[in-house]
Amino acid sequence: MSLADTPAITSASQRPGRRGRFWLLSEALPFAVGILLWQALSSLNVWPRVLFPSPLEVAQAFVEDVASGVLLVNLGVSLQSLLLGFVVGAAIAVPLGYLMGLNRASRDFFDPLVNLLQAIPGLAWIPFAILWFGLGQGAVTFIIVMSVFFPVLHNLLTGIRMVQPVLIEAVQTLGAKRWAVIAHVIFPATLPNLMTGIRLGIAFGFRSLVGGEMIASTNGLGYAIFNAQQYFQSARIVVGMLAIGITWLVMDRFILRPIEQRTTMRWGLVREGIETA
Amino acid sequence: MTDILVAKDVSKTYFDTVARDDVVALSGVSLSVAAHDFVSVIGPSGCGKSTFLRIVAGLDTPTSGEILVSGKKVSGPGADRGMVFQEYALLPWKTTENNVEFGLRLKGVPKDERRKITHRFIELVGLKGFENKYPHQLSGGMRQRAAVARVLANNPTVLLMDEPFAAVDAMTRQRLQEELTAIAAAERTTVLFVTHAIDEAVFLSNRVVALSGRPGRVIADIRIDLPRPRRWEEMMRDARFIAYRDELTRCIHGDAPAYRDHA
Repeated sequence: MSLADTPAITSASQRPGRRGRFWLLSEALPFAVGILLWQALSSLNVWPRVLFPSPLEVAQAFVEDVASGVLLVNLGVSLQSLLLGFVVGAAIAVPLGYLMGLNRASRDFFDPLVNLLQAIPGLAWIPFAILWFGLGQGAVTFIIVMSVFFPVLHNLLTGIRMVQPVLIEAVQTLGAKRWAVIAHVIFPATLPNLMTGIRLGIAFGFRSLVGGEMIASTNGLGYAIFNAQQYFQSARIVVGMLAIGITWLVMDRFILRPIEQRTTMRWGLVREGIETA
Repeated sequence: MTDILVAKDVSKTYFDTVARDDVVALSGVSLSVAAHDFVSVIGPSGCGKSTFLRIVAGLDTPTSGEILVSGKKVSGPGADRGMVFQEYALLPWKTTENNVEFGLRLKGVPKDERRKITHRFIELVGLKGFENKYPHQLSGGMRQRAAVARVLANNPTVLLMDEPFAAVDAMTRQRLQEELTAIAAAERTTVLFVTHAIDEAVFLSNRVVALSGRPGRVIADIRIDLPRPRRWEEMMRDARFIAYRDELTRCIHGDAPAYRDHA
């Protein structure tokens, strides 16, 4: 066999060594370093406690908030708003994206509207959200819908534009008609961009969630953070912030990444990173 | 012999958006391909040979003229004219096996029969053991073998190939060429092959059609009378092979100056 005929690069997703015996340690390491640095800084006692709570205080506040059930209730409220907002936003953006990407007339019609609206941040809808839905989860959910919609749509449209024409032509010469082309070429080819859109959508959704709850709601993690500040409970602020971060980590680790590893990474469309020698 | 593919006076003019002018890519190309024949179309770059192949595939429309395949006028792409591209064009999200069986699935061939056909062609192109690999796990040469198997398994009336070996290295290319002549002879496949490499065309074909520089017109149509199976080792020293190659070289390059203004 000539050199060029030996099987090409094995992908990172196939290399079992990456998740060896010390995977738990290697995943915990960055966080351990972060907490140590934080503890060291607060031990210097440069700032008053209320401005810079220590990890220990935060841990205490965390235990209290878990014990009293406050944290879980707020987390539940926030997750509910986020998921509902995301599902509604994506449920409109994804079909509209494929319609616009695959049909010229609808693209010409919707493109100017989308372009105009996407410059408006989700949070700018807060006043109307309150007027329409009143203070509470409805208003927050609406803001999240407006924040999730555009990154999902925009990335999906980019993905459709990037589909290689030769792939479509190849399956057409194998007998594929319009629907087979969409199902077997366009949909899988747009998955990497769709996943990016979903990630960004959720990230934007989180921002709007917290902002929206601070202004337009009376519960949820954002409200809890805002409220804690009013009472100078700075450790509680950090608990709320960390709860948001950890929620995202869990969603990313156990939902988004497994989907990507089973699809786009397995197909060699995206990699975890580029290691140069 | 019956002509399975007939091109009647095919011309193609397109608007070049950069030059802001009409460009005549093909001018009155007529060509008939007999069943089980291996025909190569060669010509300098820009002569419209790939455009011609795309028109046969139904991926492009001629400005005038028509293509008949099995007596039926071509009006769009179809499974009877499977194409192998220079870029392989395998679906990255399907394994070798799923890529090869793709056309059969579309046709609704039952699973058992589909598997049988798929495995036969995977074996024929030498990819046994790689059925469950994804394209990105295969080398360039292996990808092109899979692409050939994918079209052959679909049993097209004509196999269309657009410079399929241009992207692989020289050693792999010669191997793939030898394999292709053997497969085409064994399967009695009708092949329309486009290339700019004269030796490749002579090596593979029963017949070579040369197009002039832009606009492409047929300037030579030569039968290649060489025994099969063909091996590069022998062909490179075969006097007849060399004579065919020289004749076509003279034909194409001798023609070039007359069209220099358009190049």
